[in-house]
Amino acid sequence: MAGAPVDAVRRVPLFAELDRHEVEQIARLFKERRFSKGETVVREASGGAAFFLIDSGEATVSVGGADRATLQAGDYFGEIALIDEGTRSATITASSELVCYGLTFWDFRPLVQENGAIGWKLLQSMAKKLRAAEHA
Amino acid sequence: MKEVVPLGKARDTAIFGSKAVGMGDAVRAGLPVPPGVALSGPIVDAVASGEERAIEKVAKAVRPLHGPLAVRSSAVDEDGAEASFAGQHLTLLNVPSVDEVAPALSEIWWSANSDSAITYRQRVGLFTRPSVAVVIQTLLDPDVAGVMFTKNPMSGADERVIEASWGLGEAVVAGLVIPDHFRLDRSGQVLERKPGRKSISIRGVPGGGTVEEQVSAELSERLCLDDDQLGELGRLASRSEQIYGPARDIEWAFAGGTLYLLQCRAVTRAGI
Repeated sequence: MAGAPVDAVRRVPLFAELDRHEVEQIARLFKERRFSKGETVVREASGGAAFFLIDSGEATVSVGGADRATLQAGDYFGEIALIDEGTRSATITASSELVCYGLTFWDFRPLVQENGAIGWKLLQSMAKKLRAAEHA
Repeated sequence: MKEVVPLGKARDTAIFGSKAVGMGDAVRAGLPVPPGVALSGPIVDAVASGEERAIEKVAKAVRPLHGPLAVRSSAVDEDGAEASFAGQHLTLLNVPSVDEVAPALSEIWWSANSDSAITYRQRVGLFTRPSVAVVIQTLLDPDVAGVMFTKNPMSGADERVIEASWGLGEAVVAGLVIPDHFRLDRSGQVLERKPGRKSISIRGVPGGGTVEEQVSAELSERLCLDDDQLGELGRLASRSEQIYGPARDIEWAFAGGTLYLLQCRAVTRAGI
């Protein structure tokens, strides 16, 4: 089946304000990507244009060479790359065979540009994230 | 458009990329090219998206190709004057069967959207959606393969420069061996033969992928092309210049006694 599971996409906070139909539109844009154990998925300080949602397997998050966390099915990373053209803030390495669903900047941007309702809800999610960061 | 065409029908670089159209030109001119098909960027995108109709369309086109397959990117902005994406986008040699083509296309699509490819695009000022067209060809099992410049890329001299090694040409392209070095004049007369040290050869393996095999010490330093083969390469150089223009960078292979053209592009090195 094309795209990512809708329920998995709905659990991503960036998409939390969207209704089911809107999430379905986004879920259809994901493409499956597989990584071998030990493969670098994203690299700290490099450019990036894709957001990833883990379907199965595990990955390690490291910053400055130090391991910080382990990610597994349902976890996600790289969502800011969908919006800006900045660099990756961490390195993610597959610690087992890893299956992800990836969504690229190029597929995401036209949907948001053509759909103001989705754009507004994404703004609300970002604002919530900003407030949470300010109070942390 | 989601298109799959035989290589001989690939004519538009904006749809099929420069590699596919270059191979198409060779087929139309009667040059020996391994059989294959060209895929447009949109159908590669659709296969990577898991669209069943696109996957089936590609499978139907690829099924008549015999043996293991070489799946190479042919990005529409690849090999361009301003930026070359040739090193950023993946080539998968020895894809064992048609069933493995869709995952291979997905991998190639993602190679153009990987962090390293995106970083490169940002560095050269091209933060735009990559269009990844693809060429799928029967993978040869060459006895010997390599590269040929129809004009000396270092000195600019009007002579052919050939670098050759045992097995697949990737050993030469990737710099894994010291290849045999030959120079020919325009008439095909051999000006220089210098044996290299070809300590490994790259071969396809039955389950897919390639392997580096050790080459015996005796074979490693024995010239891998004879004068007849050099003559054939000289004629291929002349014919390629007639079709594509002067100063070409050619990848070639001898398999089963036949010389094949694998790629032909403009020389980009200094001296030309």
